[in-house]
Amino acid sequence: MTTYILRRLLLMIPVAFLVTVGIFVIIRIAPGDPILTYAGEDPNPETIAYVRAQLGLDQPVPIQYAAWLSRALQGDLGRSFQTHQRVTEAIIERLPVTFELGAAALLISVTVALVVGTISAIKRNSAVDLLTTSFTIAGVSFPNFYLGLLLILLFAYVVPGHILPPGGFTPFSTDPWDNLRRLILPAITIATASLAVNLRQVRSSLLDVFGLDYMRTARAKGLRERAVIVRHALKNALIPVVTIIGIQIGAIIEGAIITETIFFIPGIGRLAVQAIPSQDYPVVQGVVLVSALSFMLSTLAVDVLYAFLDPRISFGGAQA
Amino acid sequence: MTEAALPVVIRAQQQTRASSLRWFLRKNPRMLVGMVLLSILLFVAAFAPIIAPYDPIKVTIGDALQPPSFQHWLGTDDLGRDVFSRVLWGSRISLSVGVISVSIGFFVGVSVGLLAGYLGGTFDLLAMRVIDALLAFPALVLAIAITASLGPQIQNAMIAIGVVAIPGYARLTRGQVLSVRSREYITAARTVGVPPFRLVLRHIFPNIANALVVQATLATAFAILAEAALSFLGLGPQPPYPSWGQDINYSQRYLANMKWWMSAGPGIAIFIAVFTFNFLGDALRDALDPRLRRSG
Repeated sequence: MTTYILRRLLLMIPVAFLVTVGIFVIIRIAPGDPILTYAGEDPNPETIAYVRAQLGLDQPVPIQYAAWLSRALQGDLGRSFQTHQRVTEAIIERLPVTFELGAAALLISVTVALVVGTISAIKRNSAVDLLTTSFTIAGVSFPNFYLGLLLILLFAYVVPGHILPPGGFTPFSTDPWDNLRRLILPAITIATASLAVNLRQVRSSLLDVFGLDYMRTARAKGLRERAVIVRHALKNALIPVVTIIGIQIGAIIEGAIITETIFFIPGIGRLAVQAIPSQDYPVVQGVVLVSALSFMLSTLAVDVLYAFLDPRISFGGAQA
Repeated sequence: MTEAALPVVIRAQQQTRASSLRWFLRKNPRMLVGMVLLSILLFVAAFAPIIAPYDPIKVTIGDALQPPSFQHWLGTDDLGRDVFSRVLWGSRISLSVGVISVSIGFFVGVSVGLLAGYLGGTFDLLAMRVIDALLAFPALVLAIAITASLGPQIQNAMIAIGVVAIPGYARLTRGQVLSVRSREYITAARTVGVPPFRLVLRHIFPNIANALVVQATLATAFAILAEAALSFLGLGPQPPYPSWGQDINYSQRYLANMKWWMSAGPGIAIFIAVFTFNFLGDALRDALDPRLRRSG
């Protein structure tokens, strides 16, 4: 198992390297001059040249990359052109917010998918099942930013009492109740699309398992239906679900970017979106890097979990 | 020698193209529904200038912020522009971005996949690491990064979404090539001296085309959704040109005044377009390639 994890980590290195090259290239092909943002209004040529030299932007691109990478490895992603704040600092400040939002979305998506997916599979072709299957097709096609707006409208004008506020963020340490209240709508917005995918996976892998011999055996030996479903069916059906959840983490990161913008949540997604119009490269670069690395690590975590859950997968290396 | 072995001739009933298409659609009713939806979308996009009741960018301040009525089916925005007309015109942007970006992804991805699968070796190793790196980004994040740096223009959005679509095709193609490569008919073709290029195009490609058609349809759904998201973030076509995502973004400022109709039209339009391609893709998968029938 350790060998497997180590091997996977080693394989990640070249990919992570290419990811950093990719991010660097993407940002540098940009037309327009960020210096103009950085040096302030109406700068003279000397100031521009000075700032350019100070930021190392007068060096050849490969050298700029090497310098950027070596600083990045030490946790220094440069300073924002706009606010002059350290990018690492700006990201670290906002990361917990995005993480909380993402975790809430994942929790909603997985819990609802498990419960409703199981009911839908057990009561196949019932009204619940019909609703579920329609939702799985509609859910992936609905644009999450429009869903966010609809939810805001719904709770601002239709549902009385303003139970759920239309946006903003309160830290959990300040007011846990308000924190959760403000988290619900954005988390639902993010969760919907991935819920549709997860739901479908839970339902179809349960249906696959229902046809297998050991299910009949379990029933034949007189187990109660609940035990048959939970201990025999669900446990085996969950294996493919885990993979799908791994893929969904990417969708959740994407969702956070859009959703934070709509709901005025001070996470890293909103940070990036606000940095785009002013060509604040270091900030965009930093956020893209952090989201790519988090996605890679979570995919790895899911793969390891998968190997752990399914004994049929060989870990490679010495122990087969 | 009383009963000589006579040659047996079995004649299959000749079918016309039209009748076999009818048969195919009858066997796959979901395909029929998907095709009808797609035809409506294409019709709207092609004839938007004729169907649209108003000029989508003409400002008529006197008509500003009217709720849906017989004159303005989906109401008007703050500049008095007819939302329904803007939605119809917006379909042109969405569909063209969908088709063009998917074509970019298809062409590059399939070429890389064919080469990697057929050549193997170093090329395969290097190409697949690059593909892995592309897959390491959440798709929309990569598209946002590319469009943000190239500049907020529709062409750049197409390029960005196209690049994001490459890994899907490359991986699918490579996998299919690997599974087809060792089949007898490929060995046979190679034995009789078919040159590699021809072998790939004439013998391998047609055998993996079904899977690619399915992938392309589903990728178009993603592309339309991604374009809407980019436009929503201000990275798509610029105002005053009508685009669904951007119009929803624009309507946000009137949310507090309960002018819900400004976003309802474009929101539902995005849903219908994306739904059409997802639905069609699913139906195609079931119809063309039962082996591909996944639940994911």
